[in-house]
Amino acid sequence: MQKVGLSCKVNGKKVDLEIQPDTMLVDLLRDTLRLTGTKEGCREGECGACTVLLDGLAVNSCLIPALKAQGKSVVTIEGLAKAEGQLDNLQQHFVAEGAVQCGFCTPGMILNAKSLLDRIPDPDDKEIRYAISGVLCRCTGYQKIVHAIKAASHDKQQIPQG
Amino acid sequence: MSYEFKNFHWARDIRIDNYLMPRTLDEALDFLEKHQGKAQVIAGGTDVISQLRHRDLEVDALVDITRLPDMDGIRQDGEMITLGACVTHAQTALSPLVREKAAILAKGAGSLGSPQIRNIATVAGNLVSGHPAADTSIPLLALNASVLIASREGQRVVPLTEFFLDKGRTAIDCRREILIQIKFPAMQGNQGSCHLRLSKRQSLTIAILVMAAVVKVDPQKKIIQEAAIAMGPVAPTPFRALQTEALLAGAAVCKETIERAAESAYAEANPIDSAIWGSAQYKREMVKVFVRRGLENALIEAEALVD
Amino acid sequence: MKAPPDLLLREHSMNEKNDEKKKVATLTKERVDLQKLSKILSGGLSVAGQSAVRTDARRKVTGTQRYGADYAQDGFLHGKILRSPHPHALIKSINSDKARALPGVVAVLTAKDIPGRNGFGAIIPDQPVICEDKVRFVGDGVALVAAETEKAAQAALGLIEVDYEPLPAVFDPREALKKDAPRIHEKGNLLSQNKLRKGDVDKGFDQAEVILERTYQVPFLDHAYLEPDICMAVPQQDGIMLVEGPMQAPFTVRRNINAVLGVPVNRVRVRQIPMGGGFGGKEDSPIDLGCRAAVLAYRTGRPVRMSLAREEVALQTCKRHPMIMKVKIGAKKDGSLVAFQGVIYDEQGAYASLGPIIPPAGGSHIHSMIMMAGPYEIPNVHVDAYLVYTNHPYGGAMRGFGAPQVHIAHEQILDELALQLGMSPLDIRRKNGFRKGSATATGQVLDQSVGLQDSLEACAKRFDWDRKYKNRGYVDEQRTKRRGLGVGMGWYRTSIGTAGDACGANVHVHEDGSVLLFTGITEMGQGAYTVLPQICAEELGVCLEDVRYVTPDTDMVPESGPTVGSRSTTLMGNAIILAARQVKESILEAASEILAVPADRLEARAAKIFDREAPERGITFKAAAAKCMATGKRLIGQGWWAPPTPSLDPETGQGNPYFVYTYATHMAEVIVDVETGEVAITDYAAAFDVGKAINPKALEGQIEGGVAMGMGYALMEKIVTEAGYIQNLSLRNYLIPTALDVPEIKSVIVEVENKYGPYGAKGIGEMPNIPATPAILNAIADACGGRIRTLPADSESIFRAIQEAGGPPDK
Repeated sequence: MQKVGLSCKVNGKKVDLEIQPDTMLVDLLRDTLRLTGTKEGCREGECGACTVLLDGLAVNSCLIPALKAQGKSVVTIEGLAKAEGQLDNLQQHFVAEGAVQCGFCTPGMILNAKSLLDRIPDPDDKEIRYAISGVLCRCTGYQKIVHAIKAASHDKQQIPQG
Repeated sequence: MSYEFKNFHWARDIRIDNYLMPRTLDEALDFLEKHQGKAQVIAGGTDVISQLRHRDLEVDALVDITRLPDMDGIRQDGEMITLGACVTHAQTALSPLVREKAAILAKGAGSLGSPQIRNIATVAGNLVSGHPAADTSIPLLALNASVLIASREGQRVVPLTEFFLDKGRTAIDCRREILIQIKFPAMQGNQGSCHLRLSKRQSLTIAILVMAAVVKVDPQKKIIQEAAIAMGPVAPTPFRALQTEALLAGAAVCKETIERAAESAYAEANPIDSAIWGSAQYKREMVKVFVRRGLENALIEAEALVD
Repeated sequence: MKAPPDLLLREHSMNEKNDEKKKVATLTKERVDLQKLSKILSGGLSVAGQSAVRTDARRKVTGTQRYGADYAQDGFLHGKILRSPHPHALIKSINSDKARALPGVVAVLTAKDIPGRNGFGAIIPDQPVICEDKVRFVGDGVALVAAETEKAAQAALGLIEVDYEPLPAVFDPREALKKDAPRIHEKGNLLSQNKLRKGDVDKGFDQAEVILERTYQVPFLDHAYLEPDICMAVPQQDGIMLVEGPMQAPFTVRRNINAVLGVPVNRVRVRQIPMGGGFGGKEDSPIDLGCRAAVLAYRTGRPVRMSLAREEVALQTCKRHPMIMKVKIGAKKDGSLVAFQGVIYDEQGAYASLGPIIPPAGGSHIHSMIMMAGPYEIPNVHVDAYLVYTNHPYGGAMRGFGAPQVHIAHEQILDELALQLGMSPLDIRRKNGFRKGSATATGQVLDQSVGLQDSLEACAKRFDWDRKYKNRGYVDEQRTKRRGLGVGMGWYRTSIGTAGDACGANVHVHEDGSVLLFTGITEMGQGAYTVLPQICAEELGVCLEDVRYVTPDTDMVPESGPTVGSRSTTLMGNAIILAARQVKESILEAASEILAVPADRLEARAAKIFDREAPERGITFKAAAAKCMATGKRLIGQGWWAPPTPSLDPETGQGNPYFVYTYATHMAEVIVDVETGEVAITDYAAAFDVGKAINPKALEGQIEGGVAMGMGYALMEKIVTEAGYIQNLSLRNYLIPTALDVPEIKSVIVEVENKYGPYGAKGIGEMPNIPATPAILNAIADACGGRIRTLPADSESIFRAIQEAGGPPDK
């Protein structure tokens, strides 16, 4: 199998690679780029643990051939905070509200929440639940996740904290 | 019951040799032709990738059409609304034009899968899947949509009523042809519609039953001039309840008409038993409930009935 | 009926040996002053009891927390399992020549390649690592492959030729009990038969003025933890086999691997990696993968990584036991329960896993029997419980360990009884529910920490039951949607109930006041990595951030049992307190020397040690620790704690199987679409007596998550099998609740002090999902008149139940 060139942005950094054409985005991120914050839960788009932002849209990276990212920008959970050692607004509130238990769905939840807040800065509970309806959680019952996203949306300061 | 190796040993990879991203329709058709049936079109990919991993589909190459020009527009030309082949479910569900002029399609598109799936899966891809309860197939069937298919031989228009051939099989051969456009008439003032969906949970689930109804009433709002009732899965393909529609054409707007239609749809539907998604009899019963509720709501929207 | 005196919980007292230089407390199982473990100092709690932010939350929100699959794969061979496509078959021959010849394939192993015992299992090692002569369920392992790449391993699997002779199979426990049923294991299909006999049930039914008889059936359930199973086996330079991965029971994994490899226990090292969910499933799935990966690593001499695809997790790992439960209940007209008779057909599946008994009371099956009559005072109870092999995937531990199933039976029949008697479902529970001093169905007198009635009243208040009760009925003019209420009460053990149930903890204090905490309790999301350090910090008198929890490694932490049975906070918490106290003696002694104040006047809090009578006089914990280091005082504390010896008579099921219970009441309000059978949960409250909440926010999270899981059991979860084949292996068609399905849950924490728990605490992990299922089922029945006795109550079942009831209610 002949390798193909892929040129895209991952977490703001330019990436130029030669990859096998059958590489999936989730594996490019996890295995090639060693960004293991994106998780693999089911490999068929049913659990949402592999969610990343592709040109700002939340997508299941397990179903996306890596070449689909050609010329596009990918943001993973590792790319959310503005600087090393800091936490993004959503990340802070997830921590503060107790919205994290086993944590496996957490990156997927946060990225879907980010995609929501970027479009709807002040969502109601129904809109929040709708936005995270594509990420399964077996631990939390979703409640504190919804509260965390609500709190993040109300956080007027939204100043990244260490 | 024979089970294959792939039912007990699950792979992670998708086993293709080439992933091609043509820039023009010609280039895309070229790629397909060169591979002589061993390559297939991929748009959003949520169906195709899963099929490849499950080894339900085996091809050498995928031809990604999402970079072709003029494929992602939603527009209205005169009375017709056109969707490009790469329009996603999310775009459709959120489009002000679709929400106003084809509400059942917005609703149907918005109920598929999950936000992440809807962000990338295309409406065209949903049609092409040939699933009897595909979430956009049902409303598009009720809206009397048609599709434009391009191939080396040229372009042809296929009305959706002739598009679905069997479960998982449609009039398009994705190894030779590309669906490039979906077209349907925008809803008018004397029309009303309703979309209803029954599922085992509120997201990430295929439907037990989905129904879309469109009615057209006379200017006095006393007669149903035309009705389109589409539903699934009550047959191998997305289904139009033609006999029920015939019954409704010219019928008076009243409770008795609605009841008769519900009974007729119940008789017309031919669902099968599914160990996971519900028995045939239950689905039939739900057809009755949905057609009744669907017609009521559609007539209320057309202002022929009072809420 | 009084229990014989030797079965009552013994009073325990501390035995202190005086040593010249230091006071060393010697603990024996009979003589531990358990009361002091629950005591809170007059100053109150400063770390335990607080909703401390989880110590691992930051890692998890930034994606830096590593799970098993996140570790680099370089240097690892990929291991895979060839699985049986038959539910029951003989293996006539196996030929792996073609597979071996494939480039990249390093090893193909069959049964003869197992170095030690070809069997693993959490209780009985009856599951072959590699099947030799026969297979017993679809998915049973027939060969193992290790290859350089995953693709090569997968391809190799496809080249192994196995000649099977299918055997007749059996899929129903009642069928499997018949004389002519196909024999799955040598000793027959009945794995265990257990009896509970209290009083005289026939006399009881004679006295009854109302008798109801019902049968309930519940299916296989899957844990559906988000993180699929994975295991890595790495042969070490000194010949030790290191096995690591997500797991709830490192010591159980170790004792299986050493036997399979044929080496002593101390030649195997097992290390836990924090899990993406466990719920009991990762109690024994890591034994399966661990033994197989270890054998491949042993034979190839190279590291082996074995990971399961989601579908493979559903195919081969354990499930919640399906059951057929027959219940007959008798009561007087005033609602007092007089007799309860139950029969349980408990389907074990192909292998023993965590079903059978570990005397006197470990194993999910015996637990079901013990719990079956519910948290009610019933003088005459008779239960027969059968644990039966079938050619299905096997039942293991799933959050509640046999209790969720029986709660579905007793909570529903109690509601039907109440309806028949014209009593409110709350009143019948007020009348019969346990109180302090009540005797259980095993004759155990509950002499402390019985918050059942408290939970009922607290829940009713939070839920506003009385007002809502008046508001039931149709909510729309067309009378298609009807509102109903339901209550579910639960009780659940803390501890496993085996004679060997015990926990060890080590606490190391360093010269700068920082602390290492070593225990074998694992993190699966429940918050052990935060709650246990909270207890340690509280007892030592330091801050939470001063304590680092060491990831469980069998080489480094004391044997602690598995992270199951809701035992972690309580049993391990007690062990931690004892360990902390031991090392704290040194700290206080050193501080006493520095401050010239007697040690018994000193208190440690927030990393400061001060004179209780003159609080401004103090030093830092760090200074005291440094002094200990400089003067050779012991800076290591070791704690070992075991609950009072459990007892359960094998003939009568009478005894004290668990030393304390937690109690909960849940209430649900639903609206049922009576034309389609769809259910929406519109309000929900859960009150839970936990003795003492060590981390209230984390506890709420457990309650909320548990309710979602219980809701799934009620409404949508079922592993569908056909002739032994699972039809819904994927998360696409095995459905768990999404964010749009789960309602807002109002939790109430009730604290009725457990004298034998850390600061009064009892276990919490499993209970939250138990009463949820019956509360929802009862609400559905109240809303639409349709009773669901075969789960799940999906819309079609509810639709049919309404039809069977003669149509929806009139009003």
